[in-house]
Amino acid sequence: MKKKWFNNKWHFGHLLKMLRIMKLTVLIVLVSLVSLSASVYSQQTKLDVSLKNASVRDILELIEDRTDFFFLYTNEDIDVNRKVNINVKEKPVEYVLDNVFQGTDVTYRISDRQIVLTNNIQYNKFQSQQQRFVSGKVTNSVGQFLPGVAVVAKGTATGTVTDIDGSFRLAIDPDVQTLVFSFIGMQRQEIEIGNRTTFNVALIESAIDVEEIVVVGYGSVERSDLTGSVSRVKADKIEKMSITQVTEALSGTVAGLFSNQETKAEGGASLELRGPSSLKANTSPLIVIDGAIYPGSMSEINPNDIGTIDVLRDASSAAIFGSRAASGVILITTKKGLSGKPTINFSSKVGVSSTTNDLYPYGMGPGADPMDYFRMHRDTKNSRAQGSLPYYYYFNPDNLPSDISQSEWLNYAENPRDNATEEWFNRISIWPIEKENYLAGRTTNFYDKVIGTGLRQDYNLSVNGGTENINYYWSIGYLDNEGIIKGDEFSAIRSRLNLDIKVTEWIKVGMNTQFTSRDEGAVEGNLTLLSQSSPYGSMYNEDGTIRIYTNDYVKNPLENYYGQDKMKDINSLFSNLYAELNLGFGITYKISYQPHLAFTKDFNYWSTSTTTGSESYTGGYGYRDHTQTFGWLFDNLIKWNKKFGEHVFDATFLVSAEKEQSWYSRQYNSNFSPNENLGYNALQFGVNPGLSDNDTKTTGDALMGRLNYTLMGKYLLTASVRRDGYSAFGENKRLSTFPAFAFGWKINEENFYDIPWMNRLKLRLSWGKNGNRSIGGYSALAQLGSVIYYNGSNVQTGVYSTGMANPALAWERTESYNIGLDIGLFNNKVDITLDAYDATTEDLLLDRQLPRVTGFSSIASNLGQLGNRGIEFTVNTVNISHKDFIWKSTLVFSANRNKIKSLWGDMGEYTLLNKKQTGELPDFQNEWFPGYARDVIWNYDRDGIWQVDEAAAAAQYGLEPGDYKAIDVNEDGKYTQFEDKKFIGYTAPRTRWGLRNEFTIYQNLSLSVFIRADLGHMREVPISGDKSTHDRRNDWGFDYWSPENPDSEFPMINYPDNSSFFGGGILPYVSTAFLRVQDLNLSYNIPSNKLQRILPFQSLRVSLTARNLYTITNWPGFDPESGNLPMPKTFTFGVDITL
Amino acid sequence: MKIVLVLASSFLLQISCSEEFLEPDPLSFYSPEEVYVNKAGFESGMIALRKDLKNEFYGSRNNLQMEYVSSDFGYGLGLTDWSIITPSSGTYFPVLQLFERFYGYIKNTNVIISRIDQGEWESQDDRNAILSEALFYRSWWYFRLIMTYGDVPFVGGELMGPKLDFYTSSRWTILEKIIRDMEFAVQWLPEQTDPGVVNKYGALHLLSKLYLSNLQFDKAIEAATQIINGPYELITERFGVDAENPELNILWDLHRPENRTISANTETILAVIDRYDAPDAAKTQAYTMRGYHCGWWYQYVLDSEGQHGTTDNGPQYIALGRANPDVNQSAWFSYEIWAEHGYNWTNTPDLRRSSENWWETDEILYNKPTSVDYGNPINIDNFANSWDTLKIWPMPYYKTWFPMPDEYEGRPYGGNGDYFVFRLAETYLIRAEAYYWNNNPGLAADDINVIRKRANASLIAAGDIDIDYIFDERLRELHMEEFRHTELVRASNIMAKLNIDGYSLENLSENSFWYHRVQNYNTYIKLGTAGPNTFKVPSIYIYWPIDVTVISSNTLGVINQNKGYEGEELNVPPLTTKIEDTYVK
Repeated sequence: MKKKWFNNKWHFGHLLKMLRIMKLTVLIVLVSLVSLSASVYSQQTKLDVSLKNASVRDILELIEDRTDFFFLYTNEDIDVNRKVNINVKEKPVEYVLDNVFQGTDVTYRISDRQIVLTNNIQYNKFQSQQQRFVSGKVTNSVGQFLPGVAVVAKGTATGTVTDIDGSFRLAIDPDVQTLVFSFIGMQRQEIEIGNRTTFNVALIESAIDVEEIVVVGYGSVERSDLTGSVSRVKADKIEKMSITQVTEALSGTVAGLFSNQETKAEGGASLELRGPSSLKANTSPLIVIDGAIYPGSMSEINPNDIGTIDVLRDASSAAIFGSRAASGVILITTKKGLSGKPTINFSSKVGVSSTTNDLYPYGMGPGADPMDYFRMHRDTKNSRAQGSLPYYYYFNPDNLPSDISQSEWLNYAENPRDNATEEWFNRISIWPIEKENYLAGRTTNFYDKVIGTGLRQDYNLSVNGGTENINYYWSIGYLDNEGIIKGDEFSAIRSRLNLDIKVTEWIKVGMNTQFTSRDEGAVEGNLTLLSQSSPYGSMYNEDGTIRIYTNDYVKNPLENYYGQDKMKDINSLFSNLYAELNLGFGITYKISYQPHLAFTKDFNYWSTSTTTGSESYTGGYGYRDHTQTFGWLFDNLIKWNKKFGEHVFDATFLVSAEKEQSWYSRQYNSNFSPNENLGYNALQFGVNPGLSDNDTKTTGDALMGRLNYTLMGKYLLTASVRRDGYSAFGENKRLSTFPAFAFGWKINEENFYDIPWMNRLKLRLSWGKNGNRSIGGYSALAQLGSVIYYNGSNVQTGVYSTGMANPALAWERTESYNIGLDIGLFNNKVDITLDAYDATTEDLLLDRQLPRVTGFSSIASNLGQLGNRGIEFTVNTVNISHKDFIWKSTLVFSANRNKIKSLWGDMGEYTLLNKKQTGELPDFQNEWFPGYARDVIWNYDRDGIWQVDEAAAAAQYGLEPGDYKAIDVNEDGKYTQFEDKKFIGYTAPRTRWGLRNEFTIYQNLSLSVFIRADLGHMREVPISGDKSTHDRRNDWGFDYWSPENPDSEFPMINYPDNSSFFGGGILPYVSTAFLRVQDLNLSYNIPSNKLQRILPFQSLRVSLTARNLYTITNWPGFDPESGNLPMPKTFTFGVDITL
Repeated sequence: MKIVLVLASSFLLQISCSEEFLEPDPLSFYSPEEVYVNKAGFESGMIALRKDLKNEFYGSRNNLQMEYVSSDFGYGLGLTDWSIITPSSGTYFPVLQLFERFYGYIKNTNVIISRIDQGEWESQDDRNAILSEALFYRSWWYFRLIMTYGDVPFVGGELMGPKLDFYTSSRWTILEKIIRDMEFAVQWLPEQTDPGVVNKYGALHLLSKLYLSNLQFDKAIEAATQIINGPYELITERFGVDAENPELNILWDLHRPENRTISANTETILAVIDRYDAPDAAKTQAYTMRGYHCGWWYQYVLDSEGQHGTTDNGPQYIALGRANPDVNQSAWFSYEIWAEHGYNWTNTPDLRRSSENWWETDEILYNKPTSVDYGNPINIDNFANSWDTLKIWPMPYYKTWFPMPDEYEGRPYGGNGDYFVFRLAETYLIRAEAYYWNNNPGLAADDINVIRKRANASLIAAGDIDIDYIFDERLRELHMEEFRHTELVRASNIMAKLNIDGYSLENLSENSFWYHRVQNYNTYIKLGTAGPNTFKVPSIYIYWPIDVTVISSNTLGVINQNKGYEGEELNVPPLTTKIEDTYVK
């Protein structure tokens, strides 16, 4: 029987390990360094080896473990099971090997850290059969020699690896036709032998590492052995971005992961995997760091510490995290220390943020006429008059229609003032300060005072290295990020220490610890108040103090920025402490304890120059909030790995328990004397003290078993079952079981497989169930809240019901199927991963809306079924691979369709879409419709605006020119929701695209461009708010209808708001599809040979990064991704030095 | 191998203690089972019920102020045209939201009522007294519900799980139920209680009003008589904070927030308490100046040079407050209603319209230092437009003056102070109305004259009395106190049931006593339009629309929409079967 060469014959052990850890780009550099310092290592390294009756394999592994040497040999050449005794001290490796192979025909050749073992007899045997020799050299695309490349005579068990200078020599049978060259990270090449005997081969990088190790739950697996659907993002991508939280790196870059960027200085992005798996419960994926479930905030993790991110998308991969995996799992692996002398890395990124797009209040943009503010007042007043006054009544007397004279205008009032401007201001209700400023020619651009540029600084230092028994990685980073809204700032010190210690041959201990101290004590400008600010208002009083009311009605957008004192410090610690025991028989036992601690101080003081400190409370108001959280998770993990011939078993068992606790207390007081100078530091000086406490505790436990079974290296099976318990659910509902299966088939390994251009083809199938428990810890219990009452002489505390009990509250469960194909084309020049899935969530956890006559708005319940199905693919390609120009691309696509399969199960008759329907009743309050997507938009189909010449038709609906016009589906002359509302679109993107192109020019200059598009969705333009005060304030300057502006999409500024004549209300939905150049990075590695002549650096890279550089959209608000919040566009300059 | 055994046993250990480990542990909240076990527990439940009643009287655009913007009294800011209020859309007066707020308060009462027998009671009297107070509050809220929204669902107990099959009950059926509840309550409530806590007479007061609503006039008279013969008396002597000030009078004293619950005030049957010295979480503000005062400081108040002559600063600002004004008072109430027996508002002896007690328009001064007319009374002839003058009216200052404390730095809206719920004057007016419906106008006139006499108003004769007169008198005595829309709807139903003046229960949404009063008395509605304003209240607004989401979330039953609103076609006949009294032992 023919054996598969890779799996059984060659021993790559340490080499693989090392290469996996290293980034490809670094590898190339490293290889060249290695060649410079060849064979120095073997002379310097001394060994102690003392073993009795040990197998040769044991000794070789011991050497590999203790040193950086790695052995290359074939099992057929070397009898590794032969038992030997050895006892050497402080001897070089040659001495050890001479000892071990004494009396055999084995010879060795050492090239730096690589040791090739060959058998002279075998060798001679080949020779004696007079087989021919082939030889040659292997290089990479840049022409550097590649050691360790496997060279095999196709169809035989014959092969070798290239030595340090990339050369090989191999004896082959005469009938061998083809040589196969393979190397990690490179495309496999097959070369016809023909009559040639020398082969100089240049391997080129492949689109993906097939042998890369991918982290899965409680373990890791080679990519080629994956049965589930897993995507990976690597450090080199993350490091190049200008981001604050790691989630931002995932926006658009991973198929199936739906993510929107946040806009604040704290950064971050929402995460949702493969569509919303719940209606109300949290749909964020579970985060796991270095194997430990992470309960903390994403802002605590320094993106620079991250080595890889693996996203588990399908149920089977995630199922072993059962309890919280229904929304997928994101596994973060932080950087580890590499053995050898310490490597020191320092990076600095400094940048500037500004808005991607601006939306100004009326009269405030660049070049805008401040009088537009008055025009808005004019139109508001005019629409309110409802035709009872002549249309010109509110017009500016200096800008009247030609047929109206100023005196005619003036005299329409019964008692006009002499001065036309005064009269006009009176008519349009202009505040005194506005009048004063107008007459003095003063305007204030509040926009520029509230929204501007922010400075971004990010400095990171890390040290990693290792000795024989200890590997370490330590880092510290300082980030200070200013937002684009005045006052918005986030700063953090984040440090990490990863240690792996080998105590004895069979015990390993270690820890991954992260400490973060972050400052969220920013008081930022108020955007709503900014939108209301009049360009004729005043920011300051004459004496230079801040005005609380800028125009006597609108509060100052910077009122709190100036008048509120805030401190919010969060110190948190997350650690994963573990011990791993090798128990023999292929069994390892790992025990880990994962504590998480956070201390939050949130102190605030509102001085009497704020409305909170003077109007809501008297004499200042302050509070001190202390929150502490402490949680732990305790994992016991047993693994068993055994191979019986063609059968490989890998089993994992887990017993786990966890506890989360929090303690919150607030002290508050108001009305301070003798003065308020002490602020929140001395609340006892107030006269109205109060306090409030809230403590919580939740517990959970889990049992899990998983078996991976591999048959003949090409049939892969994973089966797992997990039972979870969580304290928040109803009695008898706390436990739930989550099974999963997955199957993988490497089709290209079959004998019958013969598609030369498709070198790799794997089919993956999986099924599994996952759970969601993200509801409040006490949702199943009835609760009484407290009220404070004063009866004139005593303060009394009362209680009242704040929540209804639901003892039947149970786990939300998602069942999903996944089918996937992994395809490598043209020797992996093109790599395609294709997945399709169908998931159904049942027992949805949600706050069920109750009729308000119950006295409650909602109750936590399990109801209904929600389906998500979709397809996603990732295509990695190497488009051009030339010595001086490499071009690689990654295209990511995902499309998700979700459907509410059932809701409450209440059947009956109802009217929808102008049809009497029978079936399951929709939830009109939440606008959830069985059979439709959760995010479907049920609203009136807008058909423009009623124009002046349509007044009569509009009047039928109670409307007038300038109001919304919509399709009256049943043409009954009324807008009623059940008859006339339609399904007009979706709020979630229908398709999401991401395209990354990376160019490497002249080896050291690289350019990376990431373009992202979210398409097919809509969002409500926020113009439907309170219109009753438009005669007193300003608003965001959305275009609106007026007789002079009849083409506007949005209705006139009016009050009363006639949209009450649209039953159920009408909202202006507009496409929020966008395409944006999200990340652009240009970096230059100073060539190491030149660099080292000048500076003692291993590498030096400078880079220029832009985030959210350019956006194409029709969305009228600030940004299509954030809606109506300004989105930062950031340019960053970075320097990265490795010593 | 030993290690494996140890590990295996630790595995098993963990699995076996799972049940206990997963038991939830509520740390910072009570469950109803822990609290409603004894008298002290139920007492703490009552605190919340007492506090709930405060929501009627305090805060911006509070429930009481809403009663005036939907009546003959005036109109509400932003609410000149009521037809914009639909089941899908309210304005910033919480016309739709009030419905759910009422049911929130009812929920709190139901928890007490349903769990009353879970408690360990030392005496049955304790149980019944607590139960009776809870029934009082529940009856109050249902009374307000059926007068505001007509037929509504009756929720008679604590709900122990989600319920989505509510049906509307007839307002008459609910009325009968709450009458029975109050008949029970008056037997058990104590005669005397602390301020802010309802006693037997408070319950009797409500009961007499409920009897009246249900056309049980004899019983209404009997209940009211019990109160009148009880420990209360109308104020006829000077007392309280300003007693020494000779320029003031007994009505001023009666209505001082500081005087409303002191023992010298013998007229108070039930009041709610709000004090500045309470903790922040226990106090609100009356917002009387914000809500009821005229727009004296707005820019349309022009001086003789056409300049804005008033400012939100200085003593007049403290005195009159930052009027919004949310409730726009009609000229009918300012002037016309006081014209009786040859007197008019300028010379009426009626203390309730005396210039000591009111802040007249000519007492509003130009207070902007830069104005040429600084210190002089405002002159509406200077105003640019006639409709601007509608924003200026005289203010019944003796009721609206809720002083702010000296140290208060914010905007004067009407400060903290106690508010009347029931006082004896209204008891007389209830009895007078019952006499009137009983065709006994002489006794009705006698009762009305008791309060008129106290107010130094001219006395009336039996022949002067009709239902319009009674409602005029109610407003003269109880403005800013009574629930005006509620009372008008109450009378509308009496008249409709008796088919008086062509009204009928079937056509209430087309014509009613309430509509008659609004159309014929409310000066704004009579005016129709003024400059840019249109004043309109269609007849269907006797009952307010029920929020469409309340109806649509009740998927397994039918909550009826009121007549004239979208969704009415889905109604089913309201329930009329007698509602059980579950608490009687």
